[in-house]
Amino acid sequence: MSEEAKKNFAGALTARPNSDEPKPAPVPAVPPKKVIIKSADMIPDMQKEAVDIAVAAFEKYNVEKDVAEQIKKEFDKRHGPTWHCIVGRNFGSYVTHETNHFVYFYLDQKAVLLFKSG
Amino acid sequence: MEEAEKELERRSKFLNSLIQQKKKAAIESEHEHESSLKVDVRACDMPLPLQNRAFQCARLYLESMPPANKLDSKRLALALKKEFDSSYGPAWHCIVGTSFGSYVTHSVGGFLYFSIDKVYILLFKTAVEPLDH
Repeated sequence: MSEEAKKNFAGALTARPNSDEPKPAPVPAVPPKKVIIKSADMIPDMQKEAVDIAVAAFEKYNVEKDVAEQIKKEFDKRHGPTWHCIVGRNFGSYVTHETNHFVYFYLDQKAVLLFKSG
Repeated sequence: MEEAEKELERRSKFLNSLIQQKKKAAIESEHEHESSLKVDVRACDMPLPLQNRAFQCARLYLESMPPANKLDSKRLALALKKEFDSSYGPAWHCIVGTSFGSYVTHSVGGFLYFSIDKVYILLFKTAVEPLDH
């Protein structure tokens, strides 16, 4: 009698995990973009600001020109004119910039050049 | 006998002339080949003489490189910027590459975006502010 009771209990116990099986799939985490500052003549706070604005712009836009526009306009607004921005996978450049107003960095495979001149 | 000599001399001169013409034609066709790098202006706010200067500078640079060599974007950008800074006053900026987008502000008459062969080139000028001193 007592053994039969144990068996029934065990059976009931095994039944419960089945009801738990339909678990909701976990949301996959988006890995943060890899940031590499290649060259800079800019105070650290401003560098970080440039990276943050660029990250946001890449999330919002797909076209490189639109990303560049967003970054340039944001810096014109925050730090006064005149800024220039280049975004892309493959380019070389030679520019003249104001002292302390130049940064060149990579976000994953995309390079971003941001500088003030004029 | 003398007539025969004259005839030989005449033929000899004619052949030399043909050879010279052929050499000249070969050289010309070679130049034509060199000028085959196609230029497409994609956006522009620049006087024609300056445009032609940029095209010539870029063309000369690309032609001077051995065909197998990979494009040295930074070096070409430097060459163009220096040429324009020295010829038309500072400050010029140059971007060279095969894949990039841009958003810039430029001086009036100082903007050119063109492609030559498979390379895209952005050349623009900004006003130079006097030092604060």
